[in-house]
Amino acid sequence: MSTPTHDPHSGDRPDRGTGTANQGTDPTNPSPASAKGSAATADANSAKPANPATVDMDEPPAGGSFARYFLRKLGGAATSMVLVIVLGFFAFRMLPGDPVLKIAKERPMSPAQIAELRSQYGLDKPVIVQFWDYLVGIVTGDLGESYVYRKSVSALIGEYLGPTLLLTATAAVIAIVLGLWLGQISAWRRNTLFDKLASSTSLIFWSVPTFWLGLILLMIFGGTLQWLPTGGMITPGLDPWSPAGIIDVIKHLILPVISLVAVVYAQFLMIMRASLLEEMNEDYLTTARAKGLTEDEVRRRHAVPNALLPTVTVVFLHIGGLIAGAVTVEAVFSWPGLGKLTFEAIRGPDLPLLQGTFVVFSAIIIVMNLAADIVYRFLDPRVRRA
Amino acid sequence: MTDLQFENVSITYRSSSDRGDVVAVEDVSLDLPAGATLGIAGESGSGKSTLIMSALRLLPKSARLEGRVLLGGQDIRELSFGQIRAVRWAQASIVFQGALHSLNPVREVGSQIIEALEHHSKGTWTTPQKRRDRMFELLAEVNLETSKSSAYPHELSGGQKQRIMIAMALACEPDIIIADEPTTALDVIVQKQILSGLARLVAERGISLLMISHDLAVLSAVCANLAIMRHGRLVEYGPSDEVCLSPQEDYTKQLAGAFPQIGDPESRLNPRTLKPAEVVRAEPFTMTDEVVLEAKNLSVSFDTRRGRERAVRGVDLQLRKAEILAVVGQSGSGKTTLARSLLGLQEVEAGSQLSFAGKALPKQAKALRAFRRKVQMILQDPAGSLNPKRSVYEAVVEGLKVQGIRDQEYERVIGALEAAELTPAEDYLESIPQELSGGQRQRVVIAGALALDPQVLIADEPVASLDASVRGEILSLFLALKKNLGMSALIITHDLGLAWNIADTVAVMKRGEIVEYGEVDRVLSDPQHEYTQELLAAVPRLGSQSLVRNE
Repeated sequence: MSTPTHDPHSGDRPDRGTGTANQGTDPTNPSPASAKGSAATADANSAKPANPATVDMDEPPAGGSFARYFLRKLGGAATSMVLVIVLGFFAFRMLPGDPVLKIAKERPMSPAQIAELRSQYGLDKPVIVQFWDYLVGIVTGDLGESYVYRKSVSALIGEYLGPTLLLTATAAVIAIVLGLWLGQISAWRRNTLFDKLASSTSLIFWSVPTFWLGLILLMIFGGTLQWLPTGGMITPGLDPWSPAGIIDVIKHLILPVISLVAVVYAQFLMIMRASLLEEMNEDYLTTARAKGLTEDEVRRRHAVPNALLPTVTVVFLHIGGLIAGAVTVEAVFSWPGLGKLTFEAIRGPDLPLLQGTFVVFSAIIIVMNLAADIVYRFLDPRVRRA
Repeated sequence: MTDLQFENVSITYRSSSDRGDVVAVEDVSLDLPAGATLGIAGESGSGKSTLIMSALRLLPKSARLEGRVLLGGQDIRELSFGQIRAVRWAQASIVFQGALHSLNPVREVGSQIIEALEHHSKGTWTTPQKRRDRMFELLAEVNLETSKSSAYPHELSGGQKQRIMIAMALACEPDIIIADEPTTALDVIVQKQILSGLARLVAERGISLLMISHDLAVLSAVCANLAIMRHGRLVEYGPSDEVCLSPQEDYTKQLAGAFPQIGDPESRLNPRTLKPAEVVRAEPFTMTDEVVLEAKNLSVSFDTRRGRERAVRGVDLQLRKAEILAVVGQSGSGKTTLARSLLGLQEVEAGSQLSFAGKALPKQAKALRAFRRKVQMILQDPAGSLNPKRSVYEAVVEGLKVQGIRDQEYERVIGALEAAELTPAEDYLESIPQELSGGQRQRVVIAGALALDPQVLIADEPVASLDASVRGEILSLFLALKKNLGMSALIITHDLGLAWNIADTVAVMKRGEIVEYGEVDRVLSDPQHEYTQELLAAVPRLGSQSLVRNE
């Protein structure tokens, strides 16, 4: 007898069939061996009543608590975050180019001034001291001062984070809904015209470079047709919270969102299609059909909830990729977001700003993975056993 | 009440492969009058599942049906999709192999029962509250606690899942229940509970039952009439007693003999098969007194979330040269853990003593490797234990490579395949598992073990996933290996018939302890422990119709 486990943490418990053997065997309290008790002895450790007909010898153990699961996942996420923070410091120290010399090149400075700039940025201190300052800064929310913008990095990121979240969240929602919907219909009607068209169109967009698609869209809709604005997030002077301002922001959003969605929705479609195809021959779908459900109900109520399991993990992983993809789109559409900020920081090289955006990008991806783990637990009851 | 008739039914699967169309069922006529019980027996590929699926028009689109399937006099092919949906579950429902994958893994089992009621309220279960009450009523009917309604399938044991399937099938008070291998993958005690529950419900309500299985004894315990199918055709049909006890066709005889009657001297140490393995040695080996593998006071515990659980408790066991020892018990009795411990795959508690050929089992990896050359393991599911991408040669040679045996590699592989009776061995070398039948795959697994010249084989349910006719072949192979090579074998099984067929000694395990241990003839003919007696009583007997209503 086998139990399908999609449990990613099965390593920490013995395999089924052996691990579940002898529930309720307590050396101090040997189970009574009544004549009818073979399949049916009370479980010594759990509080279940000794009902001979219902307590089976090989009934699997019940699940763990959510708090425990959450804390374990949170611990994992925290560990990744610490590693990212450490890497964020050292990786950028290895970048070629001395930022102070670069600034000095732009306007004439005496060696004394250069030395002063160095001490101002703390670059004259030993690396280990700089690292300590960096750590203290991260804990207190102070990520240093940008060399280029001459503003606090935290403030800069705060200012640019909003637009990026607006752009990527809109694109992510649209891409996921579109991809998952097209994916399940394609799988359900596999090898039909719909399936072939949906899959091949998505793959064509998938293979198009983001910046190229962005430029083409800009040329057609922003340039030739002049239907939509060509850059920025809002027409200068408008209040973003006024009705006219909101419409203006939406107009600015359309082209960058289309570029982002067009390029990524194919992966969601393909994952959903593949996972639903995996489920198509499962026995429980036959049970559902035999119960008299319509094909639509079989798909929505039985097949899709199961197909979502592998999909969710991948979807959340790809949301991270979407944020990275935003760098290009933001550059093409001059969207005032983190991507554009990072782009500027690399040109510096603006070390504090780079470090800051690196840590923020990584944090977003780690949070997304944590979210995936939690959502997964709600979707798949089998994970609750871990 | 509704009756079900198959009139000259033929079902063909269109196939795009070179084989062309596949005929799954050919010209079968069967009748299930209202209130009757009918069993259809056959092996995999006999078309029995395809046939019953046609009763509710559940065949895939690639299947073409000829002839007529009449449900209550109505040709189901003439119904619209809406009409057939109304018929499904309300007039006829199916008990699938719930122990496996027939329940949706991500939904609570209670809601899966309620779903059926939502679709066929029949004017009775019209509100959510009424449906809930009905669901609890159904759970009580199959002896499950109401708390189980919020369980997910993975939280239930095989027997519990099967009971959920039965509750679900009863939900809308159908006239016909179709049971598809309802007890496969369950052990005898749970099997008996399920079968008697099913028989009782069917008898009390006058429901007609159509049951399919590969096990004649299971069918004859419940059904009044039996039909035997082979290669899509009906081979034999009649009252179960007649079909089981005085079969007319050779094939029926073979099926009837596949699961031996314990106590029947004819099948003792003689598994019935058309292809018995050859005993070539003039003086076949018999059980000796030389102890090969020994366990003393063996205990194994696991840390689980509930605390420490003792899977094996103080087991003493001896395996002698040329002895076949069957360890019998239900799922969860700790017998697989015992096997793993004997192989040194499992950490054992302090105080446990394991020895091989008089020496304690080594702990270091290197010494263990030498030990494992002498003691080989064979797993239950040959489809799962062979790498689907590797050829037979690669599968068999792997053990030699791991053990660093480089001389005469090819000869050793051929020898092992021949010892496992895959002849001519050369023909199989390049095959991949997919191209082999279930029995051939299990032979490849056995050959992989034999290539190392082991002294002991430890086999975990070696025939449980094989067809009835193949079962006899593999068992006779074990017997021949013992007689020809003097090999010892420890076989883990829940099947007492297997012990009767080939074993010299049997150990009955319950909750990690051996409750009875001794020569097969004595233990199975005159069981002392009540658990052994209970196990023996639960084995279905051919033609006994023990569980059918008395008509």
